[in-house]
Amino acid sequence: METFINPKSLFHLLLLPCLLLYSSIAYNSSPVEAAMHTNNWAVLVCTSRFWFNYRHMANTLSLYRTVKRLGIPDERIILMLADDMACNTRNKYPAQVFNNENHRLNLYGDNVEVDYRGYEVTVENFLRVLTGRHETAVPRSKRLLSDEGSHILLYMTGHGGDEFLKFQDSEELQSHDLADAVKQMKEKHRFKELLIMVDTCQAATLFNQLQSPGVLAIGSSMKGENSYSHHLDSDVGVSVVDRFTYYTLAFFERLNIYDNASLSSLFSSYNPSLLMSTAYYRKDLYKRRLEEVPVTNFFGSVMETIHTDAAYKALSRRNSGRFEDEMSLDQSVHHIKRRMLIKVNDGDEIHDINPELLQGEEGASKCPWSTFRNKFQKAENVDSLLNYGLVAMIPLLVISTWLVQ
Amino acid sequence: MVLLQRPHILLLLIGTHQFLQCWIAFGSVNEEGQKQEEFSEELLLKPLPDHKLLAHFHFQSSGPPSTSNGCHHHLFPKAISQLVQKFRIKEMELSFTKGRWNYESWGGFDPLSSSNAKPPGVELWAVFDVPQHHIDASWKNLTHTLSGLFCASINFLESTATYSTPEWSFPPASGNVRYGTLPCEAVCTENLTPWLKLLPCRDKAGIALLLDRPSLYRGFYHSQQLHLTSTGSSSEGIDSGIILEQTLTVVLQPNSEMAIEVHASEKHIQPSWSLSSIFGKQVSGRCVLAKPSSVYLLLDRGLSAANGLTSENFWSNPSFELSANPDRIFLEESSSHSKSLSILYMFQVEKYCESEPFDIGLMWKVPVAWLCQQTPLHASRFLMGSGNERAAIAISLKSTQFTEGFMSANSKDGSCELRVDVFQVVPWYVKVYFHSLRVFVDQQPRAVSDIIEKIHVSPSKDKMSPGVMEVVLKLPCRVNTAALTIEFDKGFLRIDEYLPDANQGFDIPSAIISFPNFHASMVFLEDDSLNKSPLLSKFQEKCPVMSYTEVLLVPLTTPDFSMPYNVITITCTVFALYFGSLLNVLQRRVAEEERFLKAKAAKKTGRLPLLLSKLSAKLRGRRLEPLHSPPSSSSFINSKLVLKVILVAGLAVGWQYFFS
Repeated sequence: METFINPKSLFHLLLLPCLLLYSSIAYNSSPVEAAMHTNNWAVLVCTSRFWFNYRHMANTLSLYRTVKRLGIPDERIILMLADDMACNTRNKYPAQVFNNENHRLNLYGDNVEVDYRGYEVTVENFLRVLTGRHETAVPRSKRLLSDEGSHILLYMTGHGGDEFLKFQDSEELQSHDLADAVKQMKEKHRFKELLIMVDTCQAATLFNQLQSPGVLAIGSSMKGENSYSHHLDSDVGVSVVDRFTYYTLAFFERLNIYDNASLSSLFSSYNPSLLMSTAYYRKDLYKRRLEEVPVTNFFGSVMETIHTDAAYKALSRRNSGRFEDEMSLDQSVHHIKRRMLIKVNDGDEIHDINPELLQGEEGASKCPWSTFRNKFQKAENVDSLLNYGLVAMIPLLVISTWLVQ
Repeated sequence: MVLLQRPHILLLLIGTHQFLQCWIAFGSVNEEGQKQEEFSEELLLKPLPDHKLLAHFHFQSSGPPSTSNGCHHHLFPKAISQLVQKFRIKEMELSFTKGRWNYESWGGFDPLSSSNAKPPGVELWAVFDVPQHHIDASWKNLTHTLSGLFCASINFLESTATYSTPEWSFPPASGNVRYGTLPCEAVCTENLTPWLKLLPCRDKAGIALLLDRPSLYRGFYHSQQLHLTSTGSSSEGIDSGIILEQTLTVVLQPNSEMAIEVHASEKHIQPSWSLSSIFGKQVSGRCVLAKPSSVYLLLDRGLSAANGLTSENFWSNPSFELSANPDRIFLEESSSHSKSLSILYMFQVEKYCESEPFDIGLMWKVPVAWLCQQTPLHASRFLMGSGNERAAIAISLKSTQFTEGFMSANSKDGSCELRVDVFQVVPWYVKVYFHSLRVFVDQQPRAVSDIIEKIHVSPSKDKMSPGVMEVVLKLPCRVNTAALTIEFDKGFLRIDEYLPDANQGFDIPSAIISFPNFHASMVFLEDDSLNKSPLLSKFQEKCPVMSYTEVLLVPLTTPDFSMPYNVITITCTVFALYFGSLLNVLQRRVAEEERFLKAKAAKKTGRLPLLLSKLSAKLRGRRLEPLHSPPSSSSFINSKLVLKVILVAGLAVGWQYFFS
């Protein structure tokens, strides 16, 4: 209690909103921060171990195949698979994973690259990948080397529940952990936009704590709902795909790299009666209109073209070393691109919002308990609370004495 | 989007074109200058006695000292040369293995098995050319780099509790060597993908085209290796040449579709096979960058003897038929061990092209049976004891048909001895008691000092380092069986150290049993073309005969994770009972209570009883008889109450004062 009312800490507490306000102003005002979309990354996580969770690996690999087909290269995909299903001794089809009983498509393919597998898929490693806090020895292929111009797709599947996702049947990722990691990523400018896609029971609850701008989240089911598997393959002996992922794939199978299907068309393609759960998406943190955002913004890849006036000159642009810089031959193409990017930038500036404001909004929309807690946490209220408490004690005392009588 | 993509492709095309031109120019310049980088691809096929087929892919890249061309490489993979330069690796071997090499039927005394039979999972050893105190740091970084390169959890070998430093009993190397294994590591396509990317033609051309993933992983045994040797010493500042050997050994069951045609009575006939029937693919020409690109068919000593093939009649083979004519036939140089000789058929892939792909098939006409040459002693290892507290490891050695021959050959001098080296690493949670080491020869217990010539032990430290045991055994030649047993206690792990599937057990890595007096080599009769083939020159090297034992699975006490909940509920109950009764005892004033009860009985007042009695009286339709009303207690404002109020007020005042 003493520290709580400590004038120093009080000062800090008062300072914090000011700082936040300041940073948000700085964020909006500096033109460098409103970076353009330059690259795409995907983090695909299968969190379940054991053979009977075959479908989770098939889900993840299906998404892996889709994003690879739509143009994200292998070095920009972090694939985490908690168990080895393809070469599992129970697998009748070694080195093959199917997501459909027709066995037409081998998801494992010939060129799969798994970055984290087996016992390495832990909550710790997952958070390390997101936040980029690795040991120095960790190789580049295991890091998410995204920057402020990255669009990241984060896909997770496994067994979950109310505000958690199980890893390896021994640990849990809480919604707070996820929100903290995302917030940290935002602070470190590790992404421009982030799409979180979760296929698990009660997936929507995992997004409850998110508060960083630029995050779009979609889950396979609402609170209290289960996510079900789609069908059983009697040859493999287990269910091979989950419903949500199955219909996501059904949507993507029709697309190619040049398609302009929007995110809203993806989100509206989920039919609750087919899914047997309600796909829930949270877009209050994401300020672009979903109708205008093509799915390839997250599931595909952009190639950056930078125009230089002189040939073969070192580029002065910040972080240019990270991108595959190439000379533009076609001036007109470049102009089109430039125009597009400017448009995108405009959109960003309009929709950049004050995080403080957002927090307020969120607080109001939450349950009364959290508002009470918020109030409670404010230092000014403590004195009055104390007084209220004392006042409340008096009737209690009176009642008790009266009862004793 | 279309417009955006196009310049990129154009650029790429131009880029590759320019690169090719550069490359051609550079190559021609280099040709005059010094030794060039070389690449070879070879495939060896060998029928095995138990109706299986062994396929051994051997790719070798050599990078000569690259002082002239800096960090540029034409064929040699850059990732590997950077690795060697950064960590100053003298020699390194990384193997990914699935399945267990069957020493009894697939042999253990030829160069193929002694260098390609590996323990299950991942095995890594490396010799560094750095000062002693830097080795561990280099090793740690190396494991991380390799884990990134090969999509495996090799980085688990970084902790000191998982790797060891063999002193002298690890045959492939000595000196600054570090050795670590991960017995339960999965091996699958994702490990093969980066391995293939090190090849200049990847799996797009040449022999590597055969590597069809499903048929490879369907096999009984699969071992993918990477062996690095850095020639010359880089410590003196001279850039060294590197030799990279990539081998893939698979044991497959040939599809016996062709054998079905054969009469049912000839069940014992070996299945006929062809490359296309095993791998589902054919070789359409060589990888143009490969210097020798050849396929070999090896008939080992036993098989050629069973076929009645000798150095005279090997051109006419009555028992089988080859679908393609071999380009050359090599005969093994006669050795002292056996009379029969191995025969090697060579096929050059260069002659074949897209329109006429290379496919070799072997059709057996008569049933043959033979045995592969085995290790001097067959080693196996097992666990003894039961329960979760203690157990024992036993390594048993059994004589094979080879030992008998060896014994008869050496029986003239009475005191013949067989030297066996044992190298065993145990994880720290298997607490071995080295004093409990016992030796049995021919089922008779023997004094340890009689049999063990030399022993080196480094006990394990909890969570720090594994236990290492290196033993040299001197066994009499006439030994039938020998056994080593050692007892251990099962340790306890912290709750966060258990793996997610802890109840499947914990692995004890394979022990290495080596026979330093024996060397496996296969020398084929001198020929100038032999010097060109890296595979055959590898066979000529004398490699020590060694075998790996089984991986043991030790069930440790796994925590029952419902236990904490039980503990919490029980503790809470106990606490509640204890404090409840304590409070009761402290608070209750029996005398006062009795008085109070008496007063109450006398009073019989209380709102609810009064109300109830009124109600019942009304219901009964009788008048309520007035109760005897006791004198109302005048102690409403008694001292106790005043005291309480003052206390609370005082508290409140103090509180306010203190915090304002």
